[in-house]
Amino acid sequence: MIQSAPPAAAPRTTPGFAPPTKTDVWDGPSAHALVRLVLTVGGLVIAGFWWLDTAGGSVVGMGASVTALGRLLGLMAAYLVLTQVLLMARVPWFERAVGLNRLAAWHRGLGTGVVVLLVSHTLVIVEGYSLTAHRATLGEGWTVLSTYPDMLKALVGTGLFLLVGATSGPRLRRRMSYEAWYWLHLSAYVAIALTFFHQVSTGADFVGSDLQHRAFRLIWTAGYLAVAAAVVWWRLAQPVRGWWQHRLLVEAVVPEADGVVSVHVRGRDTHLLGRAGQFLSVRFLTPGHFGTAHPYSLSAPPRGGRLRFTVKAAGDHTAALSELRPGVPVLAEGPFGRFTADQATRHRVALIAGGSGIAPIRALAEELTTGRGTDGRVRFGSDVVVLYRASAAEDLALAREFDALARAGRIEIRYLIGKRRDLGFDPLDPARLGQLLPDLATRDVFTCGPTGMVVSVQDSLRQLGVPRRQVHVEEFDL
Amino acid sequence: MSAQVTERRVRRTRRRAVAFSGLLLGCAALVEAKAATAPATHRIVVGSPSAPVAGAPNSGRTSAGTSKHPRSTNGAGASTAPTASTATRAVTGQPIDIGYGIVQVRLTLQGGRITDVSTLQTPSGGRSGSIASYAVPQLRTEVLAAQSTNIDTVSGASYTSDGYARSVQSALDAAHA
Repeated sequence: MIQSAPPAAAPRTTPGFAPPTKTDVWDGPSAHALVRLVLTVGGLVIAGFWWLDTAGGSVVGMGASVTALGRLLGLMAAYLVLTQVLLMARVPWFERAVGLNRLAAWHRGLGTGVVVLLVSHTLVIVEGYSLTAHRATLGEGWTVLSTYPDMLKALVGTGLFLLVGATSGPRLRRRMSYEAWYWLHLSAYVAIALTFFHQVSTGADFVGSDLQHRAFRLIWTAGYLAVAAAVVWWRLAQPVRGWWQHRLLVEAVVPEADGVVSVHVRGRDTHLLGRAGQFLSVRFLTPGHFGTAHPYSLSAPPRGGRLRFTVKAAGDHTAALSELRPGVPVLAEGPFGRFTADQATRHRVALIAGGSGIAPIRALAEELTTGRGTDGRVRFGSDVVVLYRASAAEDLALAREFDALARAGRIEIRYLIGKRRDLGFDPLDPARLGQLLPDLATRDVFTCGPTGMVVSVQDSLRQLGVPRRQVHVEEFDL
Repeated sequence: MSAQVTERRVRRTRRRAVAFSGLLLGCAALVEAKAATAPATHRIVVGSPSAPVAGAPNSGRTSAGTSKHPRSTNGAGASTAPTASTATRAVTGQPIDIGYGIVQVRLTLQGGRITDVSTLQTPSGGRSGSIASYAVPQLRTEVLAAQSTNIDTVSGASYTSDGYARSVQSALDAAHA
């Protein structure tokens, strides 16, 4: 156990504290807009391909028009699939500009559209072919499948896409274990590879021996290879390199509360692995854990060759955490998230946590009141109030540490305990929140927890007139 | 609390739905715009002399058999009784590279009339093969009816139609030379 109650006399500086990392040059809403703009321009370029390649005189009659539409839908589907992969490829610029949680939301948002585009591409293009050839749709579909090159692969690939899409919709996703979902989701890579072949062997924009078609084929293939390279580099090579650099090993697993455990990890240069408030994608190299990576929040600022994650038990894997033996190697990807102390614009801070959101809040509470932040600004003495929301006292985790910080005069802690139904009110509604913290509008607010709580806090803050740039949110939707 | 979450979810879903409807409509609008750029008539205009496949000066009776396309050399320009004006003769057109494969026809001429068009080469396999298989019979009928290359493009087969017409024209040019 490394992070027992901190000493009563708080140290002014902390040895091994994270050195100032590169400040984000492009940051905030403008960076979002830039990423969106780049992706939109990409889509327009693809549509431009299609426009250039479709001779004006060739789109004549119903059959030709429908076929042309089908081609365009297919191109767009492929582009959006690649975009989805790229968003989740852990590309550091995207991470810094948008943050993994937001990227994941975009990824999910595109998912529905991709499924619609894939299905309509298939139907529209077969219909176009059959109209052109004056044949029955079903018969034409069979001809395409049985005689066109790489169509069986494409069919299998499309089936996999639909499966991945269906299991990611909220209805099925909720009924599946994280592990089952994760493995099914990985098959999207197979689907992408399988559907690639029919594009370059049948796609009218890529087949052909003239210069334009050769160039399009080359550019298209290069796009696929670039995305593949990004995935291999940032999702495979970097974690492995990270292991080489940090040699993370499990040190201990400590129960914190009902269903909550802390995993202590030691290794080299752990201060480079993240800041308070961030999370890592963690994979334990031991049977039963090997196959899946999970997002875990740091519950203490990394230092002294140590990391601590605090995790709420949910899913098969997290429950099995308590059986982890010391010495198990750990692969970590990250850090992720923009929920860090240097986002604060003011000296006075309110931290509002619920559920497993307490982990990053605990780390922030310490960093905000300890020595220098990663941006070099002195944090010690920051006026920090922590609101810890829980439905029952047994659910409180890390409470002793908060109490110790409070006794040392570094923070003020308020526990808000009880189900709304029993209390008859929501302790985080605008009226109660305003009563608890009358000076809220002059504070930066960091809030982290289950979606329901986070949304209601955001709503209350808006009503209490807390400016948006003072509100920092991390949402745990898993 | 849950009402707020639901509200946000609904808002997001609506935004996504709007975005994707926009994308679909945009695609449809592009196709419309493209179709509007089509010329009013879809007559094929074959320049004379038509451009042959590079390095394949292989047409009619003057066939030298130097085509890089092996099949176009067999029986190229196999003609009979060139002197008799009413005799039946076969004239092979030039192989035309349409980008998805080669189109090459052979005309059967009786006097000045085209009595038959057979295809020696068309793109095979996949979409191009499919297009050829429905376009070629229509093109043949059109050529026989028009007795010239003054024919309409077969919808969805513009490259094939163009290549077909050019090969026919090259055969006609060779026959009249």
